[in-house]
Amino acid sequence: MRLKIPERFIRRCRSDGRGRATVGAQQIYIIPTRQGLGFALLLLLMWIGSINYANNLGFLLTFLLAGLGLVAMLHTWRNLLGLTLRPGRSAPVFKGQQACFEIQISNSRDNERPGVLLNFAAGDPVAGDLAPHSEQTFSLTTRAERRGRLPMPRCTLSTRYPLGLLYAWSYLELAGEVLVYPAPGPHTAITSQSSYQPSPHGDKGVGSDDFIGLRSYRPGDSPRQIDWKAQAREQGLHTKQFGGDRADLLWIDWGHYPGMETESRLSALCRAVLEATEQQQAFGLRLPNLELKPARGDAQRRAALAALALFGEQT
Amino acid sequence: MNPPPLNHRSLLSLSLITLLVVAPHFARLDPRISLAFFAVVLLRVTSLYRPHLRLGRWLLLGITLASAALILSLYPLLMGLPAKVALLSLMMGLKLMECRRRRDLYVVVFLGYFTLITHFLFDQGMLQVAYVVVMVIALSGLLIEAGRTESHSGWPLHSLRLAAGMTAQALPVMLVLFFLFPRLNGPLWNLGVDNSTGQTGLSDSITLGSISRLIRSRAVAFRVDFDQAMPAPPLRYWRGPVLWHTDGRRWGRADLPKTALVSYRSDAPPVSYQVTLEPSPNDWLYALDLPETLPAEASLLADFQITAKDIRQRRYRYSASSRLQYHTGSLSERQRRLGLQLPDTVTPRMRALVSRWRAESADDRQLVNRALQFFRNEPFHYTLNPPLLETNPVDQFLFDSRRGFCEHYATSFTLLMRLAGIPARVVTGYQGGERNPLGNYLIVRQSDAHAWSEVWLEQSGWTRIDPTAAVAPERIERTFEFDLQENTAPGSPVIFSAGDHDLLNRLAKQFGLGLDAANASWHRWILGYSSQQQQRLLQLLGFGSLSAFKLALTMVLAVAALVPLLILLMRWRDRDRPDPVQRDYGKFCRRLARKGIARLSHEGPQDFARRVIRQRPDLQRPVSAIIDLYIALRYGAEDDPKQQRRLRQLVRNFRA
Repeated sequence: MRLKIPERFIRRCRSDGRGRATVGAQQIYIIPTRQGLGFALLLLLMWIGSINYANNLGFLLTFLLAGLGLVAMLHTWRNLLGLTLRPGRSAPVFKGQQACFEIQISNSRDNERPGVLLNFAAGDPVAGDLAPHSEQTFSLTTRAERRGRLPMPRCTLSTRYPLGLLYAWSYLELAGEVLVYPAPGPHTAITSQSSYQPSPHGDKGVGSDDFIGLRSYRPGDSPRQIDWKAQAREQGLHTKQFGGDRADLLWIDWGHYPGMETESRLSALCRAVLEATEQQQAFGLRLPNLELKPARGDAQRRAALAALALFGEQT
Repeated sequence: MNPPPLNHRSLLSLSLITLLVVAPHFARLDPRISLAFFAVVLLRVTSLYRPHLRLGRWLLLGITLASAALILSLYPLLMGLPAKVALLSLMMGLKLMECRRRRDLYVVVFLGYFTLITHFLFDQGMLQVAYVVVMVIALSGLLIEAGRTESHSGWPLHSLRLAAGMTAQALPVMLVLFFLFPRLNGPLWNLGVDNSTGQTGLSDSITLGSISRLIRSRAVAFRVDFDQAMPAPPLRYWRGPVLWHTDGRRWGRADLPKTALVSYRSDAPPVSYQVTLEPSPNDWLYALDLPETLPAEASLLADFQITAKDIRQRRYRYSASSRLQYHTGSLSERQRRLGLQLPDTVTPRMRALVSRWRAESADDRQLVNRALQFFRNEPFHYTLNPPLLETNPVDQFLFDSRRGFCEHYATSFTLLMRLAGIPARVVTGYQGGERNPLGNYLIVRQSDAHAWSEVWLEQSGWTRIDPTAAVAPERIERTFEFDLQENTAPGSPVIFSAGDHDLLNRLAKQFGLGLDAANASWHRWILGYSSQQQQRLLQLLGFGSLSAFKLALTMVLAVAALVPLLILLMRWRDRDRPDPVQRDYGKFCRRLARKGIARLSHEGPQDFARRVIRQRPDLQRPVSAIIDLYIALRYGAEDDPKQQRRLRQLVRNFRA
């Protein structure tokens, strides 16, 4: 079924300014399926039979089915014609994982378009029936082989509907992309201890490690931090307070991993970022071309990983 | 990717449609085969609901072998059409048994398409065609339904509707291909088509009573289109087999050579016509007396009988021309000898009768007239139920019973002429025919079968003499119609219809003629369409004669011209239209704009409604109803088609 067409001759639909790509009349390829070839053989047999039995109604039926085959070609073509595709959201992944691209297909016609398939060159197709005037989201995955921005691979929109005798397809190049973080490397012990810096605020920061005392309850405090024992003693509602974790700031630094190859170094840094986030530790990131201020939480993690993913790439 | 197995509904409809596709064959196959097929389909359907009844691989193999054994025992060597049809049907049934996936469904559907074509080998009526077209739609609907990702929850009416639409779009392509596809003459190889079905028709010999049996059939023998005005009824003698040799009871053909040229003189203008012959077991054609030009594949015998090869058991259409007045010239020695042959059954009173006529007449011509006078003046009766004549039929008929049918008159007259030394022969064929005003063609039925006599006279050559006309001239001049029930008493004379009796009869006759006209066009344009007709059609269209190659090219171009038309149709249907809700809202806004309240491009429906109501408080009710419904349909969760129809209704009734 896969037909190799020299790259330069391939007609494809590309995203327009708004990121949408519409399947045009000239961009649809069509060939018979195996069933279609079987059908052609059937017609040949029926034709020969009609000649041999000099049966005009046999001819009539044979030609009706031939006409049906021809009409099926137009209908298969029409099933793709005018579909609009638009890349949807896509979540970042680590290198080596499956990157998932969301693609929204919208059918603006009064008719349903059943049996529409979408797939990447090397991947299983996702199928669906598109209701009239509707939009449906297809999710396609591909393995993230390289760190950095992964543009959406060329996808193939195809159909065999209605009769399954013909296979029509169209190549689409949509302007979607997925950010691929470096694969997290193995945990690497850091030789230098200078990665921890004393916190400028001493122990007074708010953290979760060291108990530093109680204060009266304020709405919004986590129930976990309420001193329930004190409450049981009918001493009123108090909230336990914790001090800054280890009271130090973690710097994840490019310079801490000397003598490693760039990619392994990025993997090691990635692992360090993940570990720091896991321990809910505030951290800063230092790369040769960039420094991220220390912070904690998900936003910091995302920023750090993105910086690692895009290291060495033009932004 | 493995497509999912077919669901129950698909398999159930597949089984049902398979049954319907084969159904017309049930009557034609051995009942055991039909029963086996039915059982297989039934088993398939039951196993859908009782999965433990599903057959294992070995059992399936066993059933396959049993079916093969059944077919082979009923049709050894698989000879004949029914054997092939039986094989095909059981093959389809067994494939249905193991049908689980989409791939199997294609095999069953393709076998179904092929089964449909076999129906036409048995029945070519219009009803059968309609049935087959419905089945094509049903089978294609199955393919369409299987092409969906998820099957419909209800009956797949939408798929059937699409299949019907596609079939309708395929019709023009079919017609172009049918009329322009280059036709081959004759089969690619001989299949030994069964010729077992018997039709009535003239045979190449007559015994007394053979035509009167035939004449009770209202079946059509052939239909004729004339290129010019139809000849008058008394001139419509359709010449068939010419009979020379008699043993006194039976008359048969002589083995005369074929002639290359038509050897007669005539000053009359030629009459040309096309005959569509119904299937018959015979190898001769009919033409008006006397034929002049013949179709290429026919040949003329020296007694002007036309024979043709390969016309048995099929509807055959040919053109011919004739001249109604003629002079055949001199008589060959062989024909004189054959024309004077006498059987051993000649009795003295026959000889006495003829010698009395000979004495009374100066020449042969007068003797012929004297003989006709004898038939006219003596008490001869024309009847369909002549009394049984045993030992010497001619003698008994001439002197005792005197009740007979055309073959009695023709044979006895011919014999008497031979006794008088005038070469004579019996010609069989059809006389008359009914004109169908709806199609302006002539219907010749088996009931028009006739026999007459030809004598050779010095002045005019072979001359047609119809002694029946002397006894019952109405037979020749009027349509021959009678009621079978009325004429059962032996020897009762035939009453000829003088016209149409009452309105009901007339209507029934009109209806019958209309049906025959439809049938005739069906036969002429569809069933009888051949390479000759193809050439004629092309000439009619002004193409002249085209070679097969040019014809194929024309066909391809014509189909190629159809494709853009179909594309235009589709694109017109698929033209970008807002969804129905949006369409109705647009209509509503346009109506208001005409009254001077145009919606501003930035204005949402609520703001717009508020402004409209401020300007036209009288419209508050309908406007809020429409806007509320619109908002619910457009932005809310409401997508009930009933609500969509209500919006359309509201907008339609809205008057600003």
